[in-house]
Amino acid sequence: MSKSESRSFFGKIFRMRSEDREILKIVGLNKEQAGLARYFDFLVVAAAFLLFCGAFHLHVMLSAGDWDMFIDWKDRQYWPLIIPIDTIMFPAAVQAAFWYYFRLPIGATLCGVCLLTSVWIGTYSYWHLWTMFPIVLNVPSIIIAGCILLDVILLIFRRWIFVACIGAPLFALTFYPSNMAALTGYYVPVEHLGSMASMADVIGYTFPRSATPEYIRIIETGTLRTFEGTSVWVSGVFAAFVCIFLYMLWWQIGMAFSTVKTWSQSPKLKKYLGFKG
Amino acid sequence: MKINYTKLLKIFLISIFYFVIDMVVAYAHGEKAMEPYFRTRTVMFYDVTWSTDNVKVGENVTIEGKFRLHSDWPQAVDDPDVIYVNQSIPGPVFAKIESYLNGVPARQSFRDMEVGKDYHYKMVLQGRVPGNHHVHPGIAIKGSGTIIGPGQFIKVSGSQKDFKFPVTTMDGVLIEDLETYALADVFKWHSTLAILGIFWLLWWVWRPLLIPRYQALKQGREDLLITRLDLTVGILLGVFVFVAIVYNYNVQANKYPITVPLQTSRMYTDPLPVADPQIKINVSRAEYDIPGRTMRMWVEVKNNGDNKVRLGELTTANLRFINKSFGHAMNNVTANYPSEHMADGGLEIDKDKYINPGESHKMFITAQDARWETERLTAFLTDVDARVGALLFFYDEEGNRKILDVASSILPVFTDDDGTGPSYQRIGR
Repeated sequence: MSKSESRSFFGKIFRMRSEDREILKIVGLNKEQAGLARYFDFLVVAAAFLLFCGAFHLHVMLSAGDWDMFIDWKDRQYWPLIIPIDTIMFPAAVQAAFWYYFRLPIGATLCGVCLLTSVWIGTYSYWHLWTMFPIVLNVPSIIIAGCILLDVILLIFRRWIFVACIGAPLFALTFYPSNMAALTGYYVPVEHLGSMASMADVIGYTFPRSATPEYIRIIETGTLRTFEGTSVWVSGVFAAFVCIFLYMLWWQIGMAFSTVKTWSQSPKLKKYLGFKG
Repeated sequence: MKINYTKLLKIFLISIFYFVIDMVVAYAHGEKAMEPYFRTRTVMFYDVTWSTDNVKVGENVTIEGKFRLHSDWPQAVDDPDVIYVNQSIPGPVFAKIESYLNGVPARQSFRDMEVGKDYHYKMVLQGRVPGNHHVHPGIAIKGSGTIIGPGQFIKVSGSQKDFKFPVTTMDGVLIEDLETYALADVFKWHSTLAILGIFWLLWWVWRPLLIPRYQALKQGREDLLITRLDLTVGILLGVFVFVAIVYNYNVQANKYPITVPLQTSRMYTDPLPVADPQIKINVSRAEYDIPGRTMRMWVEVKNNGDNKVRLGELTTANLRFINKSFGHAMNNVTANYPSEHMADGGLEIDKDKYINPGESHKMFITAQDARWETERLTAFLTDVDARVGALLFFYDEEGNRKILDVASSILPVFTDDDGTGPSYQRIGR
């Protein structure tokens, strides 16, 4: 495809449509005002991107960092349970604000892209360049697939309760397969010091983290034979169940934090401050 | 406003200059930050050796030695129910090839260690990153942290690019370098999902966004904000993502048909079979002379064995005080042992002699060195647990060694009058 054809291909996808022109028309923005609004959009988009990169990354690192950071923590029990539960919070809250005020079904995907961006910057800069760990040790999780599904469910049903009941479980249940679509190779068996280990175990052992002894790992220590010997889907279903309620909670938190409320609106407070009620 | 670029450049250069001159290299691993009761009464390292202090990238160095879990285990430290044979190095500058505890592979943690017993550890590290690295053995105790053994500088020369770590899987596939294993799959899949996510964001961001959408929504024109085309694209994207997950999951499952979960279990090993030393020690008093930077101990030694024994060494917190007048003790110091762990003055013993079988002998031991201060071991003066512990090494006439762990409350001495020599022995007698 030539450059001009390429431009015209993307131009067709991202063109200003008649509905968009109609929006500008009904809100009464002339060309200059529309241009200024556009600048404002880009400023907010850039700021929001950086904000969510930092905030969401911090949230995940503080609350579930080891499972996300280290390949030898990505087990069948805790990893598919903890990461979806931990990472649905921000997408739910951001979705709420973007949907309620702008009817934009992109909050979750924005969070997913921001997290992936920041976590790869971290993996490459402070893990690989600064502290010299090979990237294989710090391959991060990815939640973008689940985030896109959350946004699409919101777009289709347009009610947060449906997203909570359908999208949130999908978010949790697709987490494991959407990650194993890249990580399966790290679970190939290897003979290591006379016993069997996964490749991820060997990576964790070979590139030592002095402050992270083996016993500190919180990973599966038993087997659920009832469920075909694997705990993945039990963890997945439990995560899906928890995600339903966490999504509801964090949607409300997102709404609360995107609503401007000031104490001075309280008649009682006004009275205490000496204003006439 | 006119920007003065020259001034900005100067500020930038000065900032860089100060940043650079302020940088110092940290060689320690935080052992000084650990309380004395931790370092003198938990894991007592001895007989530590490093096979070499100079390797090339890809060459091995073996570190081995023994440790005793001190009988006077501090209340503040969790019991050694679970431990891990660890190492303290500045990041993964070495690759760990092997590690053992009493000959048992130490890939995983060990359970039910016995206080008062001895264990042997060994680890083989391979040079990975060039530099002069401080390498310590360490024993990590669950609930308390890693107790670090003595450290030795090991120079790694060559280029990191030469480091390769081949691994063969159990189904016979040779992985040429573990450092880059399966990363192509990761990059490809993460890029795919990132592109799909960015496409979805651009699909909405490209159009009139915040103010126009907010105003239109207030006017009840939601129909303009989400069109049939948006819905179609969204559904197609959702279906595509779902199909892509299923497809790639199956591709990987076919590519790697045999997989295993992460492996974890607790190992166990009996302690080393160390014979009863047949020596009883009673520490009647221990003092720390603050101005003199000296620890003094009054001990009574009862030799219940069949051979004469003599005190040769006191070791605590990786500091070795050697009785330099005693040949067997000096023979126990390897040539390349790091000097920072050797007390310059050695161990002074009043009435130093062989103790006959059946004899009780009172001794006054003096361990003087500035390292008590520089190693921050005098924090027992301010700790809630003002006790100090050590290992005492006795030798018989043939050089056979007997090791005892001792501990005692320690009293600070704030003045230095008559603080040296036998006349001072009246205190505590």
